[in-house]
Amino acid sequence: MSDPAESFLARHQFLIYRLFSLSGLVPVGAFLVVHLLTNASILAGPGTFQSRVDLIHSIGERVLPIVEWAFIFLPMLFHATVGFVIIANGLPNVGSYPYVGNVRYTLQRATGMIAFVFIIGHVIHLHWMGKPLGGGQFDPHAASSSAAVAIQPALASALYAIGVLCAVFHFANGLWTLGITWGLWTSPAAMRRANAVSIVVGVALAAAGLGSLAGLQGLRGQKLDDARAIEANMHEDREARERLLHGGDRATSAVRPAVGAPVADSRGG
Amino acid sequence: MIKAVETNGHASNAEHDGGHVARRVRVRILRQDVAGGESYWERFEVPHEPNMNVISVLQKVAAQAKSQDGRAVAPVAWDCSCLEEVCGSCTMLINGRTRMACSALVDKLLDESEEIELRPMSKFPVVRDLVVDRRRLFRSLERVQAWVPVDDSYDHGPGPRISPREQEDAYPLSTCISCGCCLEACPQFTKIEVVRRDGESEADFVKRRKAAFDAGFVGAHAISQSMLFNAHPTGGMIAGERLETLTGQGGIQVCGNAQNCVAVCPKSIPLTRSIARAGRAATVWAIKKLFDR
Repeated sequence: MSDPAESFLARHQFLIYRLFSLSGLVPVGAFLVVHLLTNASILAGPGTFQSRVDLIHSIGERVLPIVEWAFIFLPMLFHATVGFVIIANGLPNVGSYPYVGNVRYTLQRATGMIAFVFIIGHVIHLHWMGKPLGGGQFDPHAASSSAAVAIQPALASALYAIGVLCAVFHFANGLWTLGITWGLWTSPAAMRRANAVSIVVGVALAAAGLGSLAGLQGLRGQKLDDARAIEANMHEDREARERLLHGGDRATSAVRPAVGAPVADSRGG
Repeated sequence: MIKAVETNGHASNAEHDGGHVARRVRVRILRQDVAGGESYWERFEVPHEPNMNVISVLQKVAAQAKSQDGRAVAPVAWDCSCLEEVCGSCTMLINGRTRMACSALVDKLLDESEEIELRPMSKFPVVRDLVVDRRRLFRSLERVQAWVPVDDSYDHGPGPRISPREQEDAYPLSTCISCGCCLEACPQFTKIEVVRRDGESEADFVKRRKAAFDAGFVGAHAISQSMLFNAHPTGGMIAGERLETLTGQGGIQVCGNAQNCVAVCPKSIPLTRSIARAGRAATVWAIKKLFDR
């Protein structure tokens, strides 16, 4: 009690735990959904995936890190920090009480920890921040091909499959417990219905996550070269458009391409 | 006591039975001589009788006061009272799971394993052998004021009417026997054992122990009792005070949704429904507090 930090946490335990619960849904969970669905667009072809990535990067290279830190990294670090405190204060007993709910309680903690380690590895591996550590292999101008090259090694794809499944389980199961925590579903019947919805969400997200990994696996040989060609064309178009929009006197409405037009398709691949 | 005398008689008969080998019940008990002392296993063997429960095994063990290898040992201490799963005092870990010893039938247990294992509850300090100090369980009920606050002897007239639907909702919650099974099985409810320091006065010790209890998780039983009394027209007059406790340290937020409580409750109380309702009430209470201040 004499420790001021401890008493601060103690006094605001309810608020902190509820913010922890909320942060799992918004923004961390919402980001997971957007991230996995964006990745799954690789199944529609490298051009589609590239246009999704371009859409994200269109907010500007200066603004993007701010958005990332404010809505992804910091909430995730908060969620993980409180999560580790919660794990440290619990005493799993699934050996003595192997009920479904208890197995899920234990898995929720295990998958949370695995997902946390995975996400750190994932960020180092693909995000530009990982470049000083030999990672940062994702190139937003060559989205599919750079991701494919990075993830195709057997070990990498196995770790990604485990990491994605853990994150998806953690989110889907967390969705169900969040509804109990906040009092959205209170009766056993309502909990069962919510559980069915959570399972559907989880299976759909797992399919999206594993689907995008499979899509990247498929990009080999000629397909990888094709993807690189599409990405290069789209990159050129972007540059050209930038010059037209910001080049001043030479920009005229007549040659200005329609914003958001599927550029790769107009080129005919 | 009558039962103990009977079993004594049977035991001696069995011993003088000559060559005939009567069926025996083997039991392994985790013993502890004093609070805070070392625990140790001791095996006992008692004659089998039809329809035995764990309490009748313990009565025989106490009567013979002899371990399996024939040593004279102090009788095993345990708590029990009603012997019909109502008083809630005989909770212990039987074959690793928390349950009432009185309703644990020996024949069923012997189907699970050849030897019955008895341990004291692990979430409460051991007083001796299978006897634990469940003070914190009752302190939790005090923290949430699990009662209808009528503190005088004036005639207040007839109380408000309670609809049959409300009664049906409340009745299962009122069957709680404070046995502590929900707490024992809860992975979020961990043991708090406060030991008196050298030279510490009784009053200081009690104060320190109370503070430690009040920082810990209240537990499923207390959350459910808060919902019972908050739903009661008179009990609900201090609903806000109960929610203040439930949103304080060790309140509803500590629940980890393992839902073991409802799975082990001997009275099948819908504890997780109470917890979810408390979660909803806490959400509304916290938002109201934020905007009403």
